[in-house]
Amino acid sequence: MVKIYSTQTCPYCVMAKDYFKKLGVEYQDFDVSTNEKAREELIQKSHQMGVPVVDIDGIIIVGFNRPEIDKALKR
Amino acid sequence: MYDLIIIGGGPAGVAAGIYAARKKLKTLLVAESFGGQSVVAAEINNFIGFKSISGIELKNVLEEHLRAQEDIEIKEGARVEKIKKSDAGFLVSAGGEQFETKTVLVALGSSYRKLGISGEKQFGGKGVFYCSTCDAPLMKNKTAVVVGGGNSGFYAVLDLLPHASKIYVLEYGDAFRADQIYINKAKKSGKVEFITMAAAKEITGEDFVSTIKYEDRASGETKELKTDGIFVAIGYAPNSGIVKDLVKLNQNSQIIIDHQTQKTSCDGIWAAGDVTDVLYGQINIAIGDAIKAVLNINDYFSALGGSASGGKKSQ
Repeated sequence: MVKIYSTQTCPYCVMAKDYFKKLGVEYQDFDVSTNEKAREELIQKSHQMGVPVVDIDGIIIVGFNRPEIDKALKR
Repeated sequence: MYDLIIIGGGPAGVAAGIYAARKKLKTLLVAESFGGQSVVAAEINNFIGFKSISGIELKNVLEEHLRAQEDIEIKEGARVEKIKKSDAGFLVSAGGEQFETKTVLVALGSSYRKLGISGEKQFGGKGVFYCSTCDAPLMKNKTAVVVGGGNSGFYAVLDLLPHASKIYVLEYGDAFRADQIYINKAKKSGKVEFITMAAAKEITGEDFVSTIKYEDRASGETKELKTDGIFVAIGYAPNSGIVKDLVKLNQNSQIIIDHQTQKTSCDGIWAAGDVTDVLYGQINIAIGDAIKAVLNINDYFSALGGSASGGKKSQ
């Protein structure tokens, strides 16, 4: 399961989502600017507040980090 | 063996890639990502040919144009770790691989300048932010401090206005340097407090940021503000670290270039865009300068002449 914690204005969030689309990876998108529960999850999972945060089967990646995303997806 | 390795995927790197491909130079472009620093801009109104375009749209347009070239290899998602001289030119290490090339074009741009104060690194992402477009929405009904009273500081203020309940702006000098139109907008909101002559000193907190201490440069007193987030907007620093032992830098760590040819002090290395000592950091200018560099690199190969010399473009 791939989850992404994002805000609508954040370009790296858009880039990360575009990347998942390109790979054909399905993901759930949580907008932390409007969804308070998601904001708490973001902090609890990544121990920080910045977006995007990607959760790939429990592997937490802060920022749009392609090599890390590739690594996590290949597992 | 490449004729040219271009490092960077911002406007300069992409422009160079397109020209190099059309000049049939055997080229590899290495980029961590495309778009460069302007990718975070909500709106760009001075990129010639577009009345208004967002940073991400601009990235897409540039990347698409580059990928439409047949004669270029692209390695995306890789950070260049090392560049060193070799017999034939240079060895470039990126993403665990090594590539050899006759020439290098450095188009690494610049990134957010850091404050360099205690707590900044520790609280990175934990209340210390550099991309206000990205992270301002996290300040909903919270107090935020913006460090920097120039245009980028006020962009951060404007990004924060719809979200934060209270915003402080700290400016090191005795006046704000931002355009009046932005300052007026901030004033009109009624929730921005302006503090000049403030030197940020220390960021503290537990799990997340809670306080920023600053020196009131007028009185010498140390003061503090309680805050949920600190947005650092004190300009940009060139990403020249990777070549600092190969080429001459100026006191601001910008690569010193010959402005007619974009040549650096090291034979075989050219540079373009915001990583250089170019006077004006503009997308349009970075593009033009990168093109100048590639045309000069092409001239360099032409001057080397016959294929037997090994200097001519690789086939």
